[in-house]
Amino acid sequence: MGENLLEVQDLKLYFKVKAGKVRAVDGVSFTIKPGEKLGVVGESGCGKSVTALSIMRLIPQPPGEYAGGSVLFEDQDLLDVPESAMRKIRGGQIGMIFQDPMTCLNPTMTVGKQIGEGLRIHLKLSGDQALKRAIALLEQVGIPDAATRVNSYPHQFSGGMRQRVMIAIALACNPKLLIADEPTTALDVTVQAQILELINGVCSEFGTAVMLITHDLGVVAGMTDRVVVMYAGKVVETAPTGELFANPRHPYTLGLLASVPRLDEKRHSELRTIEGAPPDLLSPPPGCPFMPRCAFARAICRTMPPLELVAGNSSHLKACWVNVTDPNEQAYADRRRKARLEATQVAISTSADVTLQQTS
Amino acid sequence: MDISERLNVPSTGEEIEPFLEVTPQLVQQRRSQGRIIFDRFIRNRAAIVGAIFLILLFLFCFVGPLVTTHNQPDQIHVTDVAQTLAGPSWQFPFGTDDTGRDMMARAMAGGQVSLLIALISMFMAVIVGVSIGAFAGFYGGIIDTLLMRFTDVILSVPLYLLLFVLSASFTDGSPKSVILLISFFGWQYAARLVRGEFLSLREREYVLAARTIGAKGFRIMFRHILPNAAGPIIVNATLLIGVNIILESVMSYFGFGIKPPNSSWGTLVSDGQGFFDVDPLLLMVPALLIFFTVLSVNLVGDGLRDALDPYMTER
Amino acid sequence: MAETLVGSKTLLDIRDLKMYFPLTRGIVLQRVIGYVRAVDGISFTIEQGQTLGLVGESGSGKTTIGRTIVRLYKPTEGQIIFDNQDLAQMGGEHLREIRRRVQMVFQDPFASLNPRFTIGSLIAEPMHIYNIGSSSEIREKTSELLSVVGLRPEYINRYPHEFSGGQRQRIAVARALSINPEFIVLDEPVSALDVSVRAQVLNLLQRLQNQFNLTYLFVSHDLSVVRHVADRIAVMYLGRIVELADRDELYAAPKHPYTQALLSSIPIPDPQIEKRRHRIILSGDLPSSINIPSGCRFHTRCPMAQQICREVDPIFERKEGREHYAACHFSEEVRPV
Repeated sequence: MGENLLEVQDLKLYFKVKAGKVRAVDGVSFTIKPGEKLGVVGESGCGKSVTALSIMRLIPQPPGEYAGGSVLFEDQDLLDVPESAMRKIRGGQIGMIFQDPMTCLNPTMTVGKQIGEGLRIHLKLSGDQALKRAIALLEQVGIPDAATRVNSYPHQFSGGMRQRVMIAIALACNPKLLIADEPTTALDVTVQAQILELINGVCSEFGTAVMLITHDLGVVAGMTDRVVVMYAGKVVETAPTGELFANPRHPYTLGLLASVPRLDEKRHSELRTIEGAPPDLLSPPPGCPFMPRCAFARAICRTMPPLELVAGNSSHLKACWVNVTDPNEQAYADRRRKARLEATQVAISTSADVTLQQTS
Repeated sequence: MDISERLNVPSTGEEIEPFLEVTPQLVQQRRSQGRIIFDRFIRNRAAIVGAIFLILLFLFCFVGPLVTTHNQPDQIHVTDVAQTLAGPSWQFPFGTDDTGRDMMARAMAGGQVSLLIALISMFMAVIVGVSIGAFAGFYGGIIDTLLMRFTDVILSVPLYLLLFVLSASFTDGSPKSVILLISFFGWQYAARLVRGEFLSLREREYVLAARTIGAKGFRIMFRHILPNAAGPIIVNATLLIGVNIILESVMSYFGFGIKPPNSSWGTLVSDGQGFFDVDPLLLMVPALLIFFTVLSVNLVGDGLRDALDPYMTER
Repeated sequence: MAETLVGSKTLLDIRDLKMYFPLTRGIVLQRVIGYVRAVDGISFTIEQGQTLGLVGESGSGKTTIGRTIVRLYKPTEGQIIFDNQDLAQMGGEHLREIRRRVQMVFQDPFASLNPRFTIGSLIAEPMHIYNIGSSSEIREKTSELLSVVGLRPEYINRYPHEFSGGQRQRIAVARALSINPEFIVLDEPVSALDVSVRAQVLNLLQRLQNQFNLTYLFVSHDLSVVRHVADRIAVMYLGRIVELADRDELYAAPKHPYTQALLSSIPIPDPQIEKRRHRIILSGDLPSSINIPSGCRFHTRCPMAQQICREVDPIFERKEGREHYAACHFSEEVRPV
């Protein structure tokens, strides 16, 4: 305790819908140390954004519903503090940037006013002071001619520039933690590089911890100290960045790494795929959520594996019963992949025949 | 503490059969779009009340005369002058009018005319409006400009004034002529609405996709775009029924619409007006029927608007 | 441009294609106050059975090219020669006949499938339009197509909203295939999909290309995906192609600073490599295609820009290497990443 800035423990957030409960976040635990850069990786619908929003208590209730767990920020449980205190923490202690900057900026206010707003509320600065600080912040996030641009409206900025403004707003009050939810997904590659560089530089300078949420393993590799891999509302693997990429231990992480074409590798004729699609969180499969798509799956996978340390490593956790580095297990997985491929061919041709007979 | 070590590698567990699905089973049969819309409509209480009232009203006007004895609106039942303008009784639940006719029968018969006029002129207006709006929105350019300016011109004429002037010279007091007149003034909003929908929908990717597979104009307009614009059109059509009922009543009230021997709720209001201090029921019955019908139609329209919301989630 | 190689046939030949969209003002009397020069003089060829990757950022005009080739737009100028016929100014029945052979798959499978159609009727629609076969034959072909793209034929009466993104994109591919096209424009076919599903669709597209001898134009913003699927790659910037080369050569020896910058800004999922990499970070954003910069269009963001770049528009010309073209005054100085 105490050494962690943020400690999320067994967080559960469900959405109530007509047909039941969507287990969007289902027992997520991770920690962030002061100044640490944590990457949270997963596909859409894996619960990574909902995790971030539920840390900030920004999920509307209903339909959202906290079903357990705690979020300790500097040893204070954010799920317990009153809304007024939470408002001070948001923007004051924890800054947040989103995927689409345009929806987060007020189109009728100049960017200077929007940056200054937080400063006036949280740091009790006067209008003049706030404006000066806003100009300084805009300069810091690389907006040329900041003194005049401070009076511009959001629509007068390009996408990349808006994201810079959002970063300035998020960092205005010197927060201890910056949550960046897919900050570059809406941007072009060349602009993405600019923004990532900026977040990295500014946060290192201020000593701000970062929680970077993304679906892009490449972004995580260059920016973070540690990575959390999420699947179907659960954490399946977490490790220091170098360790995770060099030595992935969960079949899902393995699959993700293998299924992305990479610039630095020789081109393969076929990409290794993860077959199927993520489960419906309304009725997730019992046990490990990845089991239906997993080549390594065994009967034991019908019970959910705990998130435990990998043997011989004090900082690498995985939620998987199988040791994927074991050659026997790999042979078993290969056998199942092949069997599946053959069975698929048969299934396709017979089901096509059956349907034809039914229809004709 | 690797779990596989504890379990003594390599026997992680018993082997299981390879996963066979080509694609994962669709988890559940999702509700169809129609079902979602129906479910959402059902949950809107006000709309349900309106819908039930409308159904009862239709039964009253169209089935009522067949199953009750109140089916002779023009028959003078009471000849004794002292007995005319009677209040409600078992024989005449809505009383009798100044010439001794059965008000219930007259309300039913008038309702038939009013509702039929409203419905038929709604259909005609929607058909004309959708066609004009669809062509304008889909083809754009000069076609759009011409059609829409024409629409604007008609919209900018004071409606009631022109309606009265035209009805004085063009209608003969029959329902058919009133229908024609009302529908002529009803299609403009539908046309504008449909044009707007078509303008935005024609840039959708699925419409572009239909073009790349070689679909021709009519196919794209009526198979691809129109079904997706159906929601707003249905809402507009529903609300138009209410507007038409009022329009018809106003025309008939001022003597420009339905004329004897035909009668409608509008003419009943007009007839009953003179006897308001003697027998308020004569005025109140048709007036309340109009009021509740229009209210119900609007409630149903609002309910449909919410249920047909294109940004619907599956809630 | 590219000479026809022995034994291969040029299927598509784009010559000096321009697509300008007028900007108008006024309601009744519309005046043209300027043009968006989305595609501004582009030439390339695609051989039969090949894949040309078209790479660029948003606003570079890559999607407009794809849409112009399938003639969703009528080009302002230039020729689109498909199998020796010019599509550019074609219309009516003639165009419809050609369209049968040129199909398109769109970026967003959530938007490109009409929600009111069942997937069976979506896939069958092209066959109905072109009157191919009786309705039982069409039904037969539809279920066959479903299994070809890896979906269960029982799904024929389901609606698109019941499927996931990857499955919907398979449906879109099946639909494009239903009238046996020779050429398919793939407009960012995987960028709306999840990472773990992308590989499935990419593999499917490659398998189909081999099976049916298809020719692809693969439009994408993602250089690593394009590298995986394309034989030749064209890099676009602000309505022009700035570099065109064979796949491996483009990655190994880029001849345009923009290509170089693009390559260097793609993150690689390996922390060791990421730490060592030298990034070329471009300043600023893409200029507007209404006011295109003078001289070389890239000079406002180019780290190598000189005086000549501001004044003289470089010619798109052949450079060192096999069929390697680029538009840069200083292409010899561009270093591989």
